[in-house]
Amino acid sequence: MKSSKNRLWYLLFVAPLVLIFTTVVIIPFVMGIYYAFFQWDGIAANPKVFVGFDNFQKLLTDTRFFKSAWLTTLFTILSVIAVNVVGLIFAMLVTTKLKTANAARTMIFMPYLIGGLILGYIWQFIFTDVFKRLGEMTGFASIFFNWLMDPQYALYALVFVFTWQMAGYVMIIYIAGIQGIPEDVIEAAKIDGANGWQRFRKITFPLLMPAFTISLFLTLSSAFKVYDVNLSLTGGGPANSTELFAMNIYNEIFGYGNYGIGQAKAIVFFLIVAAITLTQVYLTKKREVEM
Amino acid sequence: MKFRKRLLSSLLIGVLMLILAACSSDSGGEEGKSDDVDAEKSSDQKITIFQSKVEISDQLEALAKEYEEETGVEVEVWGTTGDDYFQQLQIRLNSDQGPSIFSLQNVTEAERLKSYVHDLSDEDYVEHIAPGMALELDGKVVGIPYGVEGFGLVYNKDLVSPEDVADYESFVKTLEKFKAEDINGLGLAKDAYFLIGHIINHPFSLQEDFYSYIDQLTAGDVTMAETEAFQEFGKFMEAIKENTPSPLDVSYDEEIGDFAAGKSAMIHQGNWAYGMISDFDVDFEIGMLPLPLQGNDKLAVGVGSNWAINAEKDEAEVQAAVDFLNWLNTSETGHKYIVEEFGFVPALTNIEAGELDPLSQDVLDASNSGQTIAWSQSYFPAGIVPNDFTPAAQEFFLSKDMTGQEFIEKLDAAWKNAVK
Repeated sequence: MKSSKNRLWYLLFVAPLVLIFTTVVIIPFVMGIYYAFFQWDGIAANPKVFVGFDNFQKLLTDTRFFKSAWLTTLFTILSVIAVNVVGLIFAMLVTTKLKTANAARTMIFMPYLIGGLILGYIWQFIFTDVFKRLGEMTGFASIFFNWLMDPQYALYALVFVFTWQMAGYVMIIYIAGIQGIPEDVIEAAKIDGANGWQRFRKITFPLLMPAFTISLFLTLSSAFKVYDVNLSLTGGGPANSTELFAMNIYNEIFGYGNYGIGQAKAIVFFLIVAAITLTQVYLTKKREVEM
Repeated sequence: MKFRKRLLSSLLIGVLMLILAACSSDSGGEEGKSDDVDAEKSSDQKITIFQSKVEISDQLEALAKEYEEETGVEVEVWGTTGDDYFQQLQIRLNSDQGPSIFSLQNVTEAERLKSYVHDLSDEDYVEHIAPGMALELDGKVVGIPYGVEGFGLVYNKDLVSPEDVADYESFVKTLEKFKAEDINGLGLAKDAYFLIGHIINHPFSLQEDFYSYIDQLTAGDVTMAETEAFQEFGKFMEAIKENTPSPLDVSYDEEIGDFAAGKSAMIHQGNWAYGMISDFDVDFEIGMLPLPLQGNDKLAVGVGSNWAINAEKDEAEVQAAVDFLNWLNTSETGHKYIVEEFGFVPALTNIEAGELDPLSQDVLDASNSGQTIAWSQSYFPAGIVPNDFTPAAQEFFLSKDMTGQEFIEKLDAAWKNAVK
């Protein structure tokens, strides 16, 4: 009796979301798989030709796709590390008894509220104009130059801005995790004479595992899927050196008008992201300790 | 307990009904609307315009307002950011939310949107379109040119005189002279067309028959690297790279701003740039010169964009769109806007050019005296400039030791990639 009533309540709240999710995610996804088997230029009125697995085969010879795959991987590795390290450090700082902790939290979280597009444009201005001027003024021209004009540094600039955006968000998750750690455990450790580093290594870190699971998952998947910052900050340039997965797919579809191949890429992309994030969740879940 | 359960389930059903109702009422509403339109006079008709020129957005909206006052037909103008216009258009068309009037740059785009373009051949004003300037597909006129445009070296008459850039040698000498004076000899900008898209036209257009040259290029029978015009083009680009600051840092706005401030002696731009140049207080005279590739003394003149009508719309809307273009191209107000407000060099012979800005005047003079080369870019593979040429050009400007010849080889590779 009770459980069936609960189920109805769940249904009441879940139904609208399921409906929305189905229309904007599930249905387009299934249609996307369907289109991956066609040769089509993406214009509704033009003919679609069924080509089977040809589109997937073509991917194997697409060097630009592989290059963007490698860049995306590099970007993801760098960003996941940077975002989580910075986010965790922020979280540790703002959970201390600093007077400015609350203000700091708000300020660090703020970039996440600004859309990636706008953030990208703001930083583009900073890199092109402010950095250049800083370099001229301070003489540190080897650090302060227009990063976006250097094929290698443009990717680092992307990592930098992405970290700037995401670190505040994972900080919130880590704060929740840190606050969930009971005071008495820490106190007991203190009495036993554990120093700060030992307390972090042996108590905070293992007990934070659930927070790591979530944060790593979030940063991994959003770093893989990044598009907005990529578009507004570098636009894939210079010379395609920052064309990440999502942008490569977009360009294939709308730049070259190869809808089928683009969709095939998108599916491969989906499988890769799913495989990597699921593995990560499985691995970190195993390391979570029960209190 | 039982009562509460029933309450809950009826609540649930209520919510679901609401959601469904919300969904269906939406589409129902639209159907109702289109019925109304059919039933009533066409004066309730609404047309939408989505066009590619950012420069004329405000003026076009003013024009739309005037048209609405005059005829009662509502005209909505949609904004765009410019560079990715065709992609935005494609997305809108695909989701059945396309505009009634849109822009087509060239025949390659018309080919791709074949099923959307309305046949305009029967309109009266079509016969007034300047020879060779109509956008035709399969013998039918599908686009009305906005106006003719031209590009070349926009120069500061205080700093440069025509004989300074008459051929390769003098061109390089001039650039070197300005480099020594700490003036930017020739400004380009980082945007796809201002970086490479326009300037690459010259070696193509200087071919005897650029249509067949492009076909041969696509077929792989010739390469740019072995074509003389391109080899010299490579040298020009080398000279530009060596003697001017990197264009990759420069936006269109900065390119124009530097020129207007006298920091650049020349920029590679078209007459459309005058609108922005005149926003500054420019205290010198300006003009347009040909890029002296292989001694070329002609400006590149063509049609930047064309008005096309979305044939997939219902009959009433297509008719309203036809009426609008008709009005734009035949009425006094329409002509006034084309010439004075948009600042176009008219491509229709029945429109008086009126008073033109100096750059447009140069374009018109060249056009009248036949001193023009065509816009071969109209025949390029779709999207090749932003997708393939631009990355290659960025690479060229970034790496200090890439030669012009190597650059042309990159462009060959880019071409192959675009037509694969």
